[in-house]
Amino acid sequence: MSSDRIFDVESVTLRFGGVVSLNDVSLHQNRGEILAVIGPNGAGKTSLFNSLTGVYQPQEGSITFLGRDSKPISIIGKKAHRVSSAGVARTFQASRMFSALTAFENVKIGAESHKGIGVLGAMLKGPATRRGEKTSDLKTAQLLDFVGLTDKANIVSASLSYGDRRRLEIARGLATDPQVLLLDEPAAGTNPSEKVQLTELIRKVRDVMGVSILLIEHDMKLVMSLAERLYVLNFGSVIAQGTPAEIRANDAVIEAYLGSSADQTKGA
Amino acid sequence: MKSILTHQLFRRFITAAAVLAVVAVMTGPAGSTEAPTAGFTGSFSERSSFFGFFETVRWVPFLFLALVFFGVWTLWLSRGAQIKSGVSQVMQVPRAATQRRPVRWGIGVVLLFVALILPHVINDPFWQAAMVEQIAVYVLLAIGLNVVVGFAGLLDLGFVAFYAIGAYVTAWVTGALPTPPLFGIHMDPFFAIPIAIVIVMVAGIVLGVPTLRLRGDYLAIVTLGFGEIITIFANNLYGITGGSQGTSLIPHFSLHIGPIKYVWGLAPVPYYYLTLVFVVIFLLAFSLLEHSRVGRAWTAIREDEVAAESVGINPLKYKVMAFAIGASTAGFAGVVTASQSNNIFPSSFSLAFSINILVLVIFGGMGSIFGVVLGALLIQTGSMYLLHSPPAGYQSSDLYIYLGALLVVMMIFRPAGLVPSRRRRREIVLSEAGEGHMNEVLTGDQP
Repeated sequence: MSSDRIFDVESVTLRFGGVVSLNDVSLHQNRGEILAVIGPNGAGKTSLFNSLTGVYQPQEGSITFLGRDSKPISIIGKKAHRVSSAGVARTFQASRMFSALTAFENVKIGAESHKGIGVLGAMLKGPATRRGEKTSDLKTAQLLDFVGLTDKANIVSASLSYGDRRRLEIARGLATDPQVLLLDEPAAGTNPSEKVQLTELIRKVRDVMGVSILLIEHDMKLVMSLAERLYVLNFGSVIAQGTPAEIRANDAVIEAYLGSSADQTKGA
Repeated sequence: MKSILTHQLFRRFITAAAVLAVVAVMTGPAGSTEAPTAGFTGSFSERSSFFGFFETVRWVPFLFLALVFFGVWTLWLSRGAQIKSGVSQVMQVPRAATQRRPVRWGIGVVLLFVALILPHVINDPFWQAAMVEQIAVYVLLAIGLNVVVGFAGLLDLGFVAFYAIGAYVTAWVTGALPTPPLFGIHMDPFFAIPIAIVIVMVAGIVLGVPTLRLRGDYLAIVTLGFGEIITIFANNLYGITGGSQGTSLIPHFSLHIGPIKYVWGLAPVPYYYLTLVFVVIFLLAFSLLEHSRVGRAWTAIREDEVAAESVGINPLKYKVMAFAIGASTAGFAGVVTASQSNNIFPSSFSLAFSINILVLVIFGGMGSIFGVVLGALLIQTGSMYLLHSPPAGYQSSDLYIYLGALLVVMMIFRPAGLVPSRRRRREIVLSEAGEGHMNEVLTGDQP
């Protein structure tokens, strides 16, 4: 049913001047689903993510997100921080940590960002502020444990390995109590064993926390083992959708990745 | 790659020579209307003794000093090879912040004690006055600007505007301006404190909401303009502000609570203690703020605004807040200055004033409260010393040349400031090592 669609993207078009980055893109994600978006470099995957999170504002179409009380929310026109508050968390392609802060502080910022500002409370450090700090600390510790970074909690995030940064970004995203977590190439720059751990972690996020997952990934092995359904983007348009098995057999997809003639794409 | 190396060395030498040439002119003979260039040429061609050792043409010792400066600089930079190890050192996280807390409190208590007994140790009226007008008030201003520049990372060149507004509000509510006071009552300056803080915060919000969407340089220009606008208003709105003559009718603080009657008079020491109380209050409040949710949000925005937004932080809200909080200390400082000196003039609220406060913050260490206080104490004491017992050839207008030179040297050798904040230092080391991505634009595989 459409009422169970956590994301409903209809005919979204995003332009930068004359460049059409997303062209009439329609797709949806069901609640609790692990959905992947794949496509060659420059296909518009990250643009889609940025549109879903309020960083870019598409000129046409609509994006409806099913919020916490199953209330439909229109994403377009909302600022990024409002989208986050509504329940959409994300990670970035080149992971964007608060590099000079520790892993713990990174996650804590996520955990407390939706509370009111409370300057006076902070300056006086009243009981409510202390309680708030304790709650955030506890939540942060639980999340670091969940992603397996407890022993690295006090390490400055810039000196973590790529794999650890990815986990940390996931923890930071989860700290905002999201309904859906958008992962932009989580496996980029990780080694094979980290990849396996990451796959397990992503599945655990969905199974244990009940957070839907939307994933961009180039690593086909990871995508095919993880995703329940896929969309394929090429030149800003959806060219195929279906289960991993269906996508593997789709001619249009093979053509997009390998090229129709001898001109092979270098990416993918 | 040898040519590039020589090129760099050459440029470094030219810079060193230019710096020393400026020093030569600064310390050289004065010109006159008959021979306008004499001060310049004489700075190099005049014969003088060099530290009393030997007599020679002035450019010789300065060329020698330029070579020394060049050498020190090059040696300093050669430590760049160790930057990698510097990264690991800085990246080591403090043994839990709680362990250092008693030490910090200890230092704080000792400093407070020194501050309390200082007016009894120093009897020189010049220094007693300087301690209030030029040191305590400037410490207050510096910790306020530190919230804006250090915590939130916003370059504010119009800080003086809020100081001016605070001072003029004091004049207004005490009935010292041509315009009738608030509610028609001539209030005590004490009541000016909350009123000034509220008005200044509102001014900060009004200026901040439209302008804080701008980044970096643009914000600096807008705030610079705001500072000028306020000064020009004060100067030109003759019927309201008293114009360029300002006002000299602002009363001192006074307390009348039942039998207690106390008036802060011309003596600076009572004002010193009053200011000290507020400095301590602001210090405690701001250091709690730094380690609170708000402080972390500021750090997050400063480091990566896009990532901060992605976890639900509204950058505009937090920036405006930093602006308003910083402004409130300037407003308060304005009240104290106005009441203590009884008079205010538009000319004292100049751009140079904003720059002076900014120098204190940068010198002390942006984002580090302790550093900023120390920076303010050192620089202000130093400039007061130069005023009190000037060395031969020093004029009070030279001060900014020296402050500028100090900043240049600081930027080369200790860019994070005298006592850098841990976070800031990590940021600088990271960007030097090219590992941070603070300045990166939106990542994506798209235009």
